[in-house]
Amino acid sequence: MELIFCGGFIVVLIVFFYLFNTARKRVNETTSLGKKQLLPVYISLADKPAAIIQGMNKLRLDVNKTEKAGDKWRWIPMLIFFAGVALMLIDVILSLLGYFSFVFTGGGVALWIAAIVMARGLRKSDSYDFSTRYNGTRDILFTLRDDLKPDSTYLGHLDLTGSLLPTKVARSANDAQGRTTEYFRDEWLALKAKLYDGSVLRVSGIQKSKKRKSYWKRSRISGKMKSKPEKFKGTAHDLKVRIVPNPEVYKISNTSAEFKQGLNIGKFTISQFSTEGGMISFVANSPFEEVEYENILQVLKSAYTLLQRKAA
Amino acid sequence: MSRKVIPFVVAFVLVCLVMAVAALFSFSGLAKAEKFGASKIWSQSYNTAESMKVINLMSDDNDELFIQNANNVTIFDGGGNVLFTKDYQYPKTTLGDVNGDNREDLVVFYLGDLGYSVDTIIDGQVSTLAQSLTVGLPARVAILRFPSGPQIVLGDSGGGLQSLSLSGQPLWNYSVGGEEIRGLDDALINGQTHLAAASHDGSVVVLDEDGQKVWETDQESLRRMRAFDFNSDGNSEILTGGEFGAFVALSATDGSQIYSQGMGQAVSEIREVELNGEPSSREFVVGGKDGGVWAFSMNGGAVNQMWTGSLSDKVTEISGIDVDGDGTEEAVIGDDSGTVAVFTGDGTRNNLENHSTGITRIDVGRLNGERYVVIADYSEVQVNKVNFNSIPGFQYTPLVVGVIVSAFILIIAAILASIPKKPELKVSFQDKSKESLEAERRMLKESIADVERLRKSGEVTGDAYLARLKRLRGDLADNEAAFKTAGFPIKVETIQCPNCGGTLELGMDKCEYCGQALLS
Repeated sequence: MELIFCGGFIVVLIVFFYLFNTARKRVNETTSLGKKQLLPVYISLADKPAAIIQGMNKLRLDVNKTEKAGDKWRWIPMLIFFAGVALMLIDVILSLLGYFSFVFTGGGVALWIAAIVMARGLRKSDSYDFSTRYNGTRDILFTLRDDLKPDSTYLGHLDLTGSLLPTKVARSANDAQGRTTEYFRDEWLALKAKLYDGSVLRVSGIQKSKKRKSYWKRSRISGKMKSKPEKFKGTAHDLKVRIVPNPEVYKISNTSAEFKQGLNIGKFTISQFSTEGGMISFVANSPFEEVEYENILQVLKSAYTLLQRKAA
Repeated sequence: MSRKVIPFVVAFVLVCLVMAVAALFSFSGLAKAEKFGASKIWSQSYNTAESMKVINLMSDDNDELFIQNANNVTIFDGGGNVLFTKDYQYPKTTLGDVNGDNREDLVVFYLGDLGYSVDTIIDGQVSTLAQSLTVGLPARVAILRFPSGPQIVLGDSGGGLQSLSLSGQPLWNYSVGGEEIRGLDDALINGQTHLAAASHDGSVVVLDEDGQKVWETDQESLRRMRAFDFNSDGNSEILTGGEFGAFVALSATDGSQIYSQGMGQAVSEIREVELNGEPSSREFVVGGKDGGVWAFSMNGGAVNQMWTGSLSDKVTEISGIDVDGDGTEEAVIGDDSGTVAVFTGDGTRNNLENHSTGITRIDVGRLNGERYVVIADYSEVQVNKVNFNSIPGFQYTPLVVGVIVSAFILIIAAILASIPKKPELKVSFQDKSKESLEAERRMLKESIADVERLRKSGEVTGDAYLARLKRLRGDLADNEAAFKTAGFPIKVETIQCPNCGGTLELGMDKCEYCGQALLS
C-alpha cells in the first residue's frame, strides 16, 4: 500500500512539474555545448528586396502570433490539474466520511491526462528566439535595396538552421590520442546582387567552428573508463566578397587607405585581397562568433573605395 | 480536414468514450457510496463462546441471549443482565422444543459427577434428563424431529453416537469413524427427517430414526459438515469442508457427489446466507483457514460460485444478516484476528470495528425490541447496533464526472483549435519572372560550382559536401518546377533518385546519396 502511495505521489509530482514548466514561458534553452537554442530558419532568396523584407517580417509576425496565441492559455493546463485535484479531494472527503469511492479520482486522472495533452499542444506553439543574424540580414538587404538594379532580385540563401549540424562538418581530424575534432563550415549567408551601376556583388558569410567529439578515457586514478563530453573549441567568421565592377563605369584602384590587406574594419580584418581579372575579391576574418550587420556593410563600403568612377 | 475541425473531431470521440465509460459505471451499479457501521449497545465479559443464539428461552415474550463456552452456560436478558448461569464440564448444547410448548429449550450434554449426562434448561429451570451415559467426551448434540418423534442425538470425541428419547431413555448407538464428531444435522430424504453425521476422520453417514445406516461414505479429514435442503425438494444436500481444502456437496438421498471444489486451504466454516434475495435459489458462504471467503449459489441442483473475497486470518464465523433492510442478507464474517467484515451480495467488503481478540460467534436477533448483531470474541460478548448508510443518487455521479471531463475536453479542443498553425521555417521568396528565375538558376549553378571547387581544394569533404550539393540540386529542381509552372521553356537538368528521392544531375548513373544505380 505504501508503495502505491509513494508511486502515486511521485507521479503527481512529475505531472505537476511538467505542467508547471509548460505554464512558464520557455526560457532560453541551450544546446549540449551551452549555446542558446535559436529558431532554425532557412530562407531561399530569389526575389525583389521589398518582397523579401516583407516576407521576413511576416514570418517573424506569424511565429510571434502563434506563440502569443499559445501564451494566452499557458496557465490553463495547471488550472485543469488543480480541477483534477479538487475532484480527487471529493473522494478523499468521502473516504473520511467512511465511504469508498473511486469515481472522482477517475475523473481527476482523466482531467490530468487532458491537461498533459493540452500542455503538449501549447508547447508546440512555442518557438525559440530568432537569431540576431535574421534581423541583421534583413537590415543588410534593406540598406542595399536602393543600390539594386531596377527589377532585379537578390539571389542566395539565409541558412540559420545551426552551425554545428552533422551536415555541415567540412572535415574531421584525429589527434595523437585518437580524439576526433570536427571542423564545421556553415555558409549561413550567400547573397548575389546585380547593382544599379552594373556591378555584381557577391557576399558570403561563413562561420567556421571546431568541436571535439565526446570520447572514452581511462582514469589514471581509479582505472575506470570515463566518458568525456564533447567540447566546443572555438569559432571564427569569414566574410567572402567578390565585386565585379562595370568596366564602363569604374576602374579598380590597387590601393586605398581605407581598404588594404591587414586592415581592421570593425570586427573584421582583411586577410586576403585581390584585384586581378577585373574584379575585387577579398576575405575578411573575424574571431568573433557573432558579427553585426553594420560590420559587414562597413567592410563593403570600404571595399567600394577601391572603385574609381571613370570620367564621363 | 481543416486544422480547426480536427481537435473537435478528436474531442468528440473522446467525449463519447468518456460518457460511455461513465454510463457503464452508472448503470452497472459499480459506483456506489455505501458504508456499514456498528455502535456498541452493551458488552459482558465471556470468554471463548462456542455456541450463541438470540432466542426466547424464558417464559416471556422477549428474546434472550444464550451463550455457552467450554465450562459455562449463561442466559443474558436484552439489557445484558444475567438471567441464568451454570458451570458445566465440557458442555455441548443444542436448542429444541423438549416439552412440546412450541418454544425452544436448551439441552446440555456434559460430563457430570455421575458420568456423561444430559440436562434440559426450560425457562431457567435445570433438570437432568439422563446420567451415566455410555458415550465419550461431548463433541456435538442435536435434537432431531424424526417422524416417530423427537430424539436427542449425542456425538462424542471418538465418533460415537447415542440417541435418547425426550424422556432420557437410550434408543440406539452408532459409531462414525474413530474420531471426533464434527457435524450433526438433520437431513431430509423424501421429506422424512434423517440424521447426517460426520467425524473428523472423513466418515459421513446418514441414519434413519432407528439408527440404521442409509448410506455412508469416506473422504479426507473433515472440519465441517452441514445439511440444507437448498432446492426444497424434500431431499437435503450435505456440504462438507475438508482439512485439506475439499469442499463437497453430497446428495442426502444416496451420498452421490453433486459438486466438489478444491479451495486451497482448510474449510473452517460453512453457513447459509440469503445473498441475492431470490427465493428460488439458496446461497451459502464458505470460509477458509487462511481467510478465504467464497459465496456459492445453488439453483436447480447446480452449484455456482458467485464471488470470492478474503480476510486476513482464519474465518471463524459466518452469519447472514439483512443489515440494510433491503430483503437480502449480507454475510457478516469474523476471523481469528478480530476482524469483522460485511460482505454484500456482490462481494464488496466493508469492515466493521475490529475486536482485540479473535471472533468466535456472531448472531443477529431482537433484544429489548431492537434488532442487534451480537459478536462474541475470546474475551467478551458485544451487542451492537449495525447500521447502513448510502448517499442517495450516488450511482449517477460517474455521469456528472463524465460531463465535467467532457466539458474540459471540449474547452481544450476549442483552445487548441484557436491557435494558428506554426509557420513553415523553410521559406522561399521567389520572384516568378523569367529573368528572376534565370538569375536564380545561374546563381544556383555558380553555388554548385563553388561547392565542387571547395571539395577539390579539400575545404569541404564527405557528408557536408553531399548535403550542400543535395540542397542546391533540390533548389535547382524547384527552380525548374517554377519555370514549368510559369510556362517558360526550360531544359530539365535534374532527376530524382527513385530510392532516396534526392535530386541528381541528369545523366548520372548512380545516386551519390544512397548508391542506387540509375537507368536514365
